[in-house]
Amino acid sequence: MTGTCTLGEAMIYTLARTIEDGTLVFHGFGSPLVQLAMHVAKRTHAPDMALVAGATYGLNPRPPFLTPTSNDWALDRGAECALDIEQLFDLGASGRIGRMFLSGVQIDRWGNANVTRLGRDQLDIKLPGGGGGCNLSCDVDHLTLWTTAHRSQPDRHGKRRYRLVEQCDFITNLGHRTADRRERAQLGHRGMGPQWLVTELGLFDFDPRGLLRLRALYPDTSIDDVAQSTGFELVVADDLHPLVLPSPEIVAMIRALDPLGVHVKELQPHDRERRFAVVPAPNPLQVEVMQ
Amino acid sequence: MSAVFTHSDKRVGLDELASHVKDGDLLAVGGGLSSREPMALLRAVIRAGRQRLQVVGSAHGIDIDLLCGAGVVAKSLESYVGFEQDFGMAPNYRRACESGAVEVADSCCYTVVQQLRAAAYGVPFLPVRSVRGTGFQGMHPEYLPMKCPFTGDDLLLVPALQPDVALIHAQYGDSHGNLRIEGPPVADLLSARAAKKVIATVERIVSNDELQALGGANVPYFHVAAIAEVEMGAHPTACYPFYAYDRPHTALYYQAAKAGADVFRASYLAPYVLDCLDHADYLERIGGVATRSRLSSWRDGPQAWQELYAEANA
Repeated sequence: MTGTCTLGEAMIYTLARTIEDGTLVFHGFGSPLVQLAMHVAKRTHAPDMALVAGATYGLNPRPPFLTPTSNDWALDRGAECALDIEQLFDLGASGRIGRMFLSGVQIDRWGNANVTRLGRDQLDIKLPGGGGGCNLSCDVDHLTLWTTAHRSQPDRHGKRRYRLVEQCDFITNLGHRTADRRERAQLGHRGMGPQWLVTELGLFDFDPRGLLRLRALYPDTSIDDVAQSTGFELVVADDLHPLVLPSPEIVAMIRALDPLGVHVKELQPHDRERRFAVVPAPNPLQVEVMQ
Repeated sequence: MSAVFTHSDKRVGLDELASHVKDGDLLAVGGGLSSREPMALLRAVIRAGRQRLQVVGSAHGIDIDLLCGAGVVAKSLESYVGFEQDFGMAPNYRRACESGAVEVADSCCYTVVQQLRAAAYGVPFLPVRSVRGTGFQGMHPEYLPMKCPFTGDDLLLVPALQPDVALIHAQYGDSHGNLRIEGPPVADLLSARAAKKVIATVERIVSNDELQALGGANVPYFHVAAIAEVEMGAHPTACYPFYAYDRPHTALYYQAAKAGADVFRASYLAPYVLDCLDHADYLERIGGVATRSRLSSWRDGPQAWQELYAEANA
C-alpha cells in the first residue's frame, strides 16, 4: 500500500502518538480528531489504554461509525461499562486520568487556553465555554493540546488575529503559568500541565521554562509559516524535524473508523485538500509514542 | 430544605407540568448536547410566559439556545452551550450573552458536580483542588480559598447550588414518578438528588411491574413532583431507543438562529414554539409520522443509522 494521507489523518496520527499504553485517557465533546486518535491508539500501540468517550462516558466502546455530535448512542456501542458525570470527574480529581485533550480559541505561549470569552476586561465575543476543561486541565496528569486554526491571515488592514497568542483574554484551561505569571508548580495541582500542542502547521512541545517550542513541521510548512501565524516570539527546538506520517494501513484504519468524514469539519476549508505522500512501513501498525 | 413527593398518582398534562416552573427559578435542564434534552417541556415553559430564568448544567446545546432565543433567560451558569463542530457556536446564547441580556457566570463540569453534590448532601459547600489559577476564580468571587486543616493542601470551596427545578426527559416512568433513564444519564441523576423538585416527561408511562421488568428505576419517585407522558418529548435531540438526533431539523433551527434574532423569532420560534397549540401540533409541524419513522430507522442497522447523519441531510 502507498498513496497519500490528508492533513486531518496526519493530525490524528500525531495526536495518537501522544498516548501511552496502560493509562486512562479521556476526550471531551466536539473533538472528532481526538476521538479518532484514541481509537487508532487503542488498535495499535495502546491496547491497554482505558478509553473513556467524551459525553457518553462509555469505556472502550467500538462505535460502528463516528457521529456528528458526541452524545450519541452510536459512540458507546460495545462499551464494556459506563460512568456517570460524578464518576468521570472524580477520576480526574483523584489523579486517575493519565491524559486529556484540550483546545482553545486562544492558546498562549504557556499553554493556557481560552474557550470562554474574547475581550480581556469586558465581554466582546462569547465563546461556547470549556465544559470540564478547567477542572481537568488542573487535575489530569498530562495534557495534549490541539487546534486546527493556527494559521493567521492578515485582514484588509494587514492586521492579524492570532490563535496562538501572547496572553489569553481569559484562562479557561490552565497551562504552565497563570495570568499573573505564577508558576503552575506553586499552585499544587495534581496535573503536570500541557505536554504537546498539535496544530495544522506543526507540532510543539514545551521547553523547561514551560514555553511552547516548535518540534516538527509538515512537508508543506516552514518555520516562517509558523512564525508568521504565531502571536509571540517563536521558540524552535534544536532537533526540529519533519513530522512522522502514518503508514497506509493506519490511514485506511482512520477512514474505516470515520466513514462519514465527520472529522473533516474540524479542519479549515483551505486545509481540507492538503495531502502528503505516505510510504509503506515494515511494521505498518507499529506506532511509536513521542518522547 | 428539600421536600419529598409521596402522592401516588403524579400524572399531569404538559402545561400543568410546566406550571411548576416559576419566574426567576434556577433550572437544571436534563440530558446534554444532542441527547435527551426535555425540549417539549422547555417549549411549554416558554409558551407559559416564564421570565428571568437561570440555568445551570454541563454540556448543552439547542435547549439553552432556544430559551435564550425566546428571551426567558437572565443568567447562565452553564459549562458549555454550543453545537460542537457540527454547526458551531450557539447563536441565540451568544447574542444574549453579548448584549448583556444574560448574565454570564460560566462554570465547569466538576465545579457544578461539587456544587450540586453539596446541595444533595445537605452541606453548604464542597472543595475542589482545581480551578485555582484560572479565570473562573475572578468570575466567581463566591469561591473561597482554604488551606486544608488536616493536610495543608490548597483548596477552593464552592458553595452548594440547589436548582429550584430539575427538568428531565426519560425513556420510561410510572404514575408514581419513578423514572428509568436509559443510556448516558449525563448529570440527571445528580440533578434529581440536588434539586428542590424534579418535573419529568417520559416517552412511555408504564406500570411499576413493567418498569421493574425493563431493569428498574434510577430516579426514585419521591424526588419527582409531577410526570407527563410526552412522546418524542426530546425532539429534535435524540431519545434512544425510540429515535435518533434530528440533524436536518437542527440545521433548520441553526440557520434561523444564525440569521439574527428577528429572523429566528419569525421563522422558528413562532412556528415551532409560540404558535403551537400543544405538543401534538408541534409533532405535525415537524413532519408527523414520516419524521418519527425516519428517526427510528437507526434500528435498521449501521448503514441506515449513518444515513440519518449524511451531509446531504443537514
